Amino acid sequence: MIHLDGVTKRYGDTVAVDDLTLDVAEGEVCVLIGPSGCGKTTTLRMINRLITPTSGRIMINGQDASELKAEELRRSLGYAIQSVGLFPHLDVAANIAVVPRLLGWDKPRLRGRARELLELVGLEPEQYMGKYPRQLSGGEAQRIGVARALAADPPVLLMDEPFGAVDPLNRGRLQGEFARIQRDLHKTVVFVTHDIDEAIRLADRIAIMRDGRLVQYDTPETILDNPVDHFVRDFVGSDRALKRLVRVPVRDVMDTAPPVARRSAGAKEMLAEVGRTRFVYLVDEQGRLTGWLDRAQLKGGCTVEDALSDADPAQVAVRPDASLKEALSRMLGLGFRSIAVVESDGRLVGQVTLGSVEGAMTESDEHQGARPAEHMAEYSAEDTSDDSVLESIASDDQGDCT
Amino acid sequence: MRPSRRTPVLAAFATFVFAWLLTRTSWLEAALKWAFPTEVSWLHPRADLVSLTVEHLAIVAISSGLTVLVGVPLGIWVTRSSGRDFRQLVAASVDLGQTFPPVAVLALAMPVLGFGFKPTIVALFLYGMFPVVSSTIAGLDSVPTSTLEAAKGMGMSPMQVLFRVELPLASRIIMSGIRTSVVINIGTATIGATIGTGGLGVPIIGGLATRNMAYVVEGALPAAVLAVLIDVLLGQVEHGFAVPLQEADSA
Amino acid sequence: MLTRSPDRVALTGAVLALVSALMLPAGTLRPNRLAQGDPHSWLAAGAILAVPMLALLLAVFASFLCSRSLRGHVLSSAGVLLIGGIALSLGALSESLMVDAPSIARVSIGSGTWLMLAGAAIVAFSGWQALMGKESASQGTHVRMVYPLATAAFLFAAVAFGGLDTISLAAEYGIRTAVFWPSVIAHLRLAGVSLVLGLAMGVPLGIIAARDARIRRVALGVTGIIQTIPSLAMLGLLIAPLAALSAAYPVLRQLGIRGIGETPAMIALTLYALLPIVRNTYVGLAEVDPAVVDAGRGMGMSRGQLLWRVEMPLALPLVLEGVRAGAVLLVGITAVTALVGARNLGSFIFEGLGQAAPDLILLGALPIIVLAIVADVGLSFIADAVTPKGVRAA
Repeated sequence: MIHLDGVTKRYGDTVAVDDLTLDVAEGEVCVLIGPSGCGKTTTLRMINRLITPTSGRIMINGQDASELKAEELRRSLGYAIQSVGLFPHLDVAANIAVVPRLLGWDKPRLRGRARELLELVGLEPEQYMGKYPRQLSGGEAQRIGVARALAADPPVLLMDEPFGAVDPLNRGRLQGEFARIQRDLHKTVVFVTHDIDEAIRLADRIAIMRDGRLVQYDTPETILDNPVDHFVRDFVGSDRALKRLVRVPVRDVMDTAPPVARRSAGAKEMLAEVGRTRFVYLVDEQGRLTGWLDRAQLKGGCTVEDALSDADPAQVAVRPDASLKEALSRMLGLGFRSIAVVESDGRLVGQVTLGSVEGAMTESDEHQGARPAEHMAEYSAEDTSDDSVLESIASDDQGDCT
Repeated sequence: MRPSRRTPVLAAFATFVFAWLLTRTSWLEAALKWAFPTEVSWLHPRADLVSLTVEHLAIVAISSGLTVLVGVPLGIWVTRSSGRDFRQLVAASVDLGQTFPPVAVLALAMPVLGFGFKPTIVALFLYGMFPVVSSTIAGLDSVPTSTLEAAKGMGMSPMQVLFRVELPLASRIIMSGIRTSVVINIGTATIGATIGTGGLGVPIIGGLATRNMAYVVEGALPAAVLAVLIDVLLGQVEHGFAVPLQEADSA
Repeated sequence: MLTRSPDRVALTGAVLALVSALMLPAGTLRPNRLAQGDPHSWLAAGAILAVPMLALLLAVFASFLCSRSLRGHVLSSAGVLLIGGIALSLGALSESLMVDAPSIARVSIGSGTWLMLAGAAIVAFSGWQALMGKESASQGTHVRMVYPLATAAFLFAAVAFGGLDTISLAAEYGIRTAVFWPSVIAHLRLAGVSLVLGLAMGVPLGIIAARDARIRRVALGVTGIIQTIPSLAMLGLLIAPLAALSAAYPVLRQLGIRGIGETPAMIALTLYALLPIVRNTYVGLAEVDPAVVDAGRGMGMSRGQLLWRVEMPLALPLVLEGVRAGAVLLVGITAVTALVGARNLGSFIFEGLGQAAPDLILLGALPIIVLAIVADVGLSFIADAVTPKGVRAA
């Protein structure tokens, strides 16, 4: 889809990009990564001709990019950048509609498209269409930046650290959503970042650059297992085994049938359920996580109401889009041996246990490069019923309840 | 204009040349004779250019001197706790005053103070206050609170904070207000000739009244050069003041 | 909440008003429009004024005991009441003086009146400030707008029914009604046309200046020098070459281009309008966030689309601020052009100076000040109205 052939960019005596040859296949996410000044952003900006290459050729969909009119080329390539660059004088709907307007779409179609894209990036259209950029948080602005890049449905997306300016929690969430969107849309994406976790999580292929040259161009798994040299090894870091978990979304390994009881059903049913499984998640009428009940906490002879713990889903649960690494670090941080998985509306859809994480790590060691999938979920389902795991759940809540 | 290192030398040289040319009355007359051969007289009879220029500068110096003596302390006072109540009133009056056309202020001084030097000096003094007071307030406001806190924390008295920290940091902005004020006053002083003040406006007004173009140019040319020269010289003074808090990039 | 601390601003205004009422003349009766006359004090003539004056002093002292928003209303009403009282009693004074005087006699406004008005305005301002404060901001603008409207109503009443139409300024206007309004229109037309010419040249120049550093230095340097040249000198320097040109080429004279009159005036005014417009257009464009420009280019906007759809809308508030500053400047300089034969409100000033007729000077100067303030407020209002919602200050 995108083919860079011996592309070089010189500024006077300095060489920003040195004889770079790179192929990005259709529907793939290619992440350009490297230390600052390695030429990754220059490379990206040469693809949509914001920078003109000194020599070499860039082919997009079989066509020489330099033969197209620069503006028309850019309109066919979605573009999202770290500083977002939303137009402050236009509301969100108009910001999203910039490229479609340049392409001459009519008004109803523009509004429909804006609504569609806001839904896609997880923002309530009615609430956001009329807002202005300065009324948005950093994370919301980044989401709208992505929506704007997707507006005219371009086959290719160019993204320059699009999630770089938000806090780590939001970045993880945005990455998860981007992975979900990409699963549906299959765009050809060139993505620049300096965050190796982000690269491993999102890339189909990673291009590691240094001093304007391509050092290694491979799948994340290969780069993690067979770094070509010391530079790549150091760049990837020593926690390569853990990094593999970044590749696995929670969705793929979660137990989709966690022990659960309705809070409204009353103490009797909750007790019956917890008697069977030692531990239950409590949900409301809509299936939203509200707390949990641990048999260990009932020992003091107190009532059910005393023993159950209230849950703030933002604290004690992960989203299905989150990576297994995030789920693991959350479990370790809370001292839990399992963690609930909830959708953005708070509905409980599954759980992840330490056992399933362990399984995913062994699995990916055995089958290098393959994504752990369904049988992993089976494994974790088995694991949840294991009493030894349950007993130590919510260990920090095990004290007396007076 | 962004002054380069050569600008002070050039400005000093230009000032010298200008002053010297003012004394060459016969050259001026010859040039005007060549340009306006149909006139019968080329130099305004009231006074020679040197004394007109000195007169002009004296008017501006007296009024602007008074302006600075009153305007800067006023600006300081309304930013102290003792005058803070009056800050809004002063700021609003200064904003309003700056929309008043200088010629209207000058004209209003005549019915009150009559003809001659006095009304012009008073009008220029009052009108010149607006930029000086507003720049003093703006300059003192531009000093970061953290700097003031640090100064107080080191045990400086309010007076020491004012004279050792605030005024040095604000001096450049205050000076730019003084510069604006002086340049406006030079321009307004030429119109002062209509109420008998004297200065370089005299040949211009006299020439317009008698339709003598030579008189008009005799006054207009040095008046224009004088204003530009003073602006450049004061610009040098302004840039010589303390390091600004952040170097402005625009010219 | 009780704020017992005295409002020093209001107190200052009240003291100023009181002292001027006691010490300075309210008006001067002169045998004719040029002669010196006898001053008349408020004490002798202004019985009507005693009521608002007392009300003002009472209000200022009472206000020390009120809550902030109530204090605002008390002081604003007192200030407005006093302004109205001054206008009405000045009219009454003028009428009573004119009863025994010959018809060519004039009653001029005295310094005591002007300073009392200033004092009343300070009191009203202090009340207005209290109303604009945070605690009472929720009351909405309509309540506050009562005060300016009441002031206007008082002044109108004083002119229409209160005898204010007998003072010398009104008499001077009466003599010149036929030329006054055409002069106002000529003034506005000359300043307006020059401003539009300045815009037509200044905005493109500002755009080019934002693109090219060398042109920027030249453009800002030259317009800066123009700005420092005294307006009278500039007009003088334009007259001579224009006169020579029109003498040499009769065609130009047929087109109306002459050394004296509107031509040099319009050229000078256009030149003076350039600096604020060029500078603000350039600064406005230079201040557009580079990320916004990069995003626009990256999405495939052409240079023109980027300029007109993104950069100019974002620079618009500053461009309009430049237009506002230019307009205020031109209203003043237009008056000076009366000296080179352009007829406008400035003509009254210079005729008045020539005849030493103070009221004629006022007839020119006051409307010019009013026009400048109207231009200032009006263009600020327009600038606010057309500023894109997303970039308006919160």
